[in-house]
Amino acid sequence: MNLDEYRLRDEPYYRAIGDEVRLFEAAYAERMPLMLKGPTGCGKTRFIEYMAWRLREPLITVACHEDMTASDLVGRFLLDAEGTVWHDGPLTLAVRHGAICYLDEIVEARQDTTVVIHPLTDDRRVLPLEKRGELVRAHSDFALVISYNPGYQSVLKDLKESTKQRFGAIDFGYPDAAIEAEIVAHEARIDRPVAELLVAIGQRSRNLRGHGLNEGASTRMLIQAGRLVARGIAIEAACQVALVVPITDDADIRGALTAAIAALV
Amino acid sequence: MAQRPPEHRHVPIDWLPDQPELAGTLQLVWRQAQANVPAEFLGDWLRACRDLADRMGSHAALGFVRNSPSVAAAAGVESAFALAAAVPEIAASAGGGAGLALLVAAPAAARRLGSAQGFGEWLRVLRLVGDRAPESLALLLERTERLLATIDLRALEGWALRGIRAAENEPERRLRYFALVDPLALRALEQGTEGVEFADVERELKAYVTALWRRMPPLRVLPGGGLEAPRRTSFEGGIIRVPTAFRGWAGRSGRELFRAALAHVLAHLQFTPARFPLGGLKPVQVALVSLIEDARVEQLAIAQYPGLRRLWLPFHVADAAGAVTAPALMARLARALIDPGYADPHGWVGKGREMFFADPSAWQEPGLSRTIGGLLGNDLGQMRAQFNARTYVVEPLYRDDHQGLWDLPASPAPAEVEALQESVRLEGRADSPDGGGRAAGDETANRASLVPAGREVGIPVARYPEWDFLIGRDRNEWATLIEYPPAEGQGETIDAVLERYPELVWRIKALIRAAKVSRPLRLRRQSEGDRLDLEAAIAAAIDRRAGLAPSAKVYARLERRFRDLSVLVLIDASQSTNDVVGAAGKSVLELERDAATLLGHAMDGMGDPFALHAFCSETRENVHYYRLKDFDEDWNAVVKRRLAGLAGRFSTRMGAALRHAGRELAQRLSYRKLLLFISDGEPSDIDIADRRYLVEDARRAVLSLRQQGIDIFCVGLDAAGDGYLARIFGRGNVVQIDAVERLPERLPLLYFRLAG
Repeated sequence: MNLDEYRLRDEPYYRAIGDEVRLFEAAYAERMPLMLKGPTGCGKTRFIEYMAWRLREPLITVACHEDMTASDLVGRFLLDAEGTVWHDGPLTLAVRHGAICYLDEIVEARQDTTVVIHPLTDDRRVLPLEKRGELVRAHSDFALVISYNPGYQSVLKDLKESTKQRFGAIDFGYPDAAIEAEIVAHEARIDRPVAELLVAIGQRSRNLRGHGLNEGASTRMLIQAGRLVARGIAIEAACQVALVVPITDDADIRGALTAAIAALV
Repeated sequence: MAQRPPEHRHVPIDWLPDQPELAGTLQLVWRQAQANVPAEFLGDWLRACRDLADRMGSHAALGFVRNSPSVAAAAGVESAFALAAAVPEIAASAGGGAGLALLVAAPAAARRLGSAQGFGEWLRVLRLVGDRAPESLALLLERTERLLATIDLRALEGWALRGIRAAENEPERRLRYFALVDPLALRALEQGTEGVEFADVERELKAYVTALWRRMPPLRVLPGGGLEAPRRTSFEGGIIRVPTAFRGWAGRSGRELFRAALAHVLAHLQFTPARFPLGGLKPVQVALVSLIEDARVEQLAIAQYPGLRRLWLPFHVADAAGAVTAPALMARLARALIDPGYADPHGWVGKGREMFFADPSAWQEPGLSRTIGGLLGNDLGQMRAQFNARTYVVEPLYRDDHQGLWDLPASPAPAEVEALQESVRLEGRADSPDGGGRAAGDETANRASLVPAGREVGIPVARYPEWDFLIGRDRNEWATLIEYPPAEGQGETIDAVLERYPELVWRIKALIRAAKVSRPLRLRRQSEGDRLDLEAAIAAAIDRRAGLAPSAKVYARLERRFRDLSVLVLIDASQSTNDVVGAAGKSVLELERDAATLLGHAMDGMGDPFALHAFCSETRENVHYYRLKDFDEDWNAVVKRRLAGLAGRFSTRMGAALRHAGRELAQRLSYRKLLLFISDGEPSDIDIADRRYLVEDARRAVLSLRQQGIDIFCVGLDAAGDGYLARIFGRGNVVQIDAVERLPERLPLLYFRLAG
């Protein structure tokens, strides 16, 4: 089967923060399963896209949710006129044909679902398809990458110890102000000073993490605000739309954020 | 003038032949009366004087003659006549003294109110008070000017009614209220003022400060000061004090004012590194150095946050017109130093501005304020502009009172002392009014619980067996459990705990929310349900085609599971919990208390019924047991006081306490019963030498409770406790917390995990 549709054609924009690119390449060379940790909107998905492009591998992404079963990953029998037909799930597809399989927000999936990746993530590198009685040996290009957001919910939702310990991990945070401004300026196509202001606003909102906000404004949010600015919206209004209103419903915190933005502008 | 009746040109002395004194006074004020009472009403006015003299005697008439022209001047002639009508009425209901007091107070009220309508309203309020609280009316009238300077008429009415209601049938209390001695009166007065109260905006402001400065110094509200001079924010020793409200600043502008005030204080905290030594500075120099320092830190803050200039500017209202007094000049200088668009012709202001802006790079140095302030102070002295340090109030409104800028000899601010005395008087107990002097609060808490310790009286409620592992059997009725009423401490220390862990409180809140709206559970592979489970249906179809017996469980349904959980938290309060641990210098007991507070906060939020008990022991004859909170009690101030009053004493005989707690829990009808045990050490007691004995007994107690369906979970604070705690509770039911300082954050989260 051809995985061409999973290949990225154009280079995705990614601005390296540290030596994560080199680390990822080394880990991939060893086919070491990797875990990307970091808050939402800090560039985890963009990073994996960029790496897939750089390594010229197809990328199969699965957004995990709590109702996901193992069959959603592995595959299932379906019925047709002739009888039953086996359909490979995304994970099996990647294993069989060689691709990077990216399980986004893995903690959302139930723990009994995530254990199906265990035999793939140690030196066996196999995927047993119980229902079919088949043992799929991983293609040499196959690699597994998961993302993981250690937010406040991690008390209730956490990876099993036995899952965690199979992975190497790269920690992502929001980049330094200068780099983040560069990213925002590039992605939103705005001038550097405006991007710097947006980043300053974002950093102030991150100060409220745990003091009214679950998370501060992500780089993604700042880019959104920047795009509105690029369309001629005033910066305070753009921040309202892209940042203040989406991030919280709490009137006090909105008021505080609005005032903080006013102090910066 | 031409149509004025001739008989009014001169004082008709002979018109009052029987009242020579009145006639004399009339002559004195005649010119004023003529100026203020329109000619056509002069006759009526004279008749009113005459009338008052007849009905109430010459004193009242004299008062009217002297005061009514000013009333007419300020609030129109109708007001003067309304006054004449009101005086006898007031005198009838509240006594002649009140009538005279009304005449004395009327000119000031008329000046304040400025219209006949307002004056009439004022008289209406007075009649109302006269009817319901006649004894207090004179007092109220004496304070007219101060009251009307503080609040408007509508608020005055509300305030008066509140006093009357609060002290119905208690004339003495009413007297205190209207004399403004009763703290309630002062508080009510503050609430009656139009203005944003700090409490309403506190959360938003805290978030604002945290966002911009990444920290939030503790905030305290200044105790209510009633009618004192306008108040300013203040900061000292890292604590910011803010007024409850800025009078007359309502709505949005009130919010902005608080925000401006806090931003100003934070600018000081950021850019004023050390206090200025007082040295030999004169008061005027102190005020000016402070003023320059204010401007300096504001400029630095504006460089960082340009929007702050827009926040502060509207409060600078001084302008170049008006009298050249020292305070006015200083307000103008303050404005000149922040407002680039402000022009001021005065040489002194110009000089200050020039010096300040000569070299912006010098702003980094706090010494600049001292230099410029000192020079300007000398100049101001030479200009002979009067400066009165006693009456000087920092302008504009949002700036702090400069207490935090100077290295002053340590003495509590007068307002604080007053409040201190007040709280002593009112509550019969002493505490720093800020409630934040944690050390002080704890001392009192410990004192409060230590003093009655000698004479505390407990009730023996049960005798429990103890397991003797040597003989392999229970010793019946061996340990006596005595319940003591818990000592009460300072509830504020408990509330302060929540403040100290803002992040955690927030997390708890998020967890409660997540747990409460717990999404419905999808049950798959059910034999009945409202929809097909596609997976199961397909599997069944495949099985059938394969010739196997298909499962009938092909349905799925959604179900909400309800929580039904009772939790009893048992706290070890033995002597060893007084040990101080960690860098924070807190005792184990304090940490236990913090943890219990946060846990209580979490459980209260979840709505799970929970109890909070504590124990310690001195021999088997006296196992102390304290019920800090029972299942059917609310998580209220009393419970918090008891928690604050908890003291660490004696030893740790776990078995009896566990059995007692278990018995309590066993009576609950909940589906799940959880006993959460917090202990800092090995079981021990002074009458037991064998270390294993109490461990085995506790283990026995745990086993028997488990048989009754009670989940027991232990949080161990003894890093070396692995052996015995696992022996007592079983390995899976113990969590060791090696860094005890982290207990407060770990415990509530543990609860969510256990209860989830």
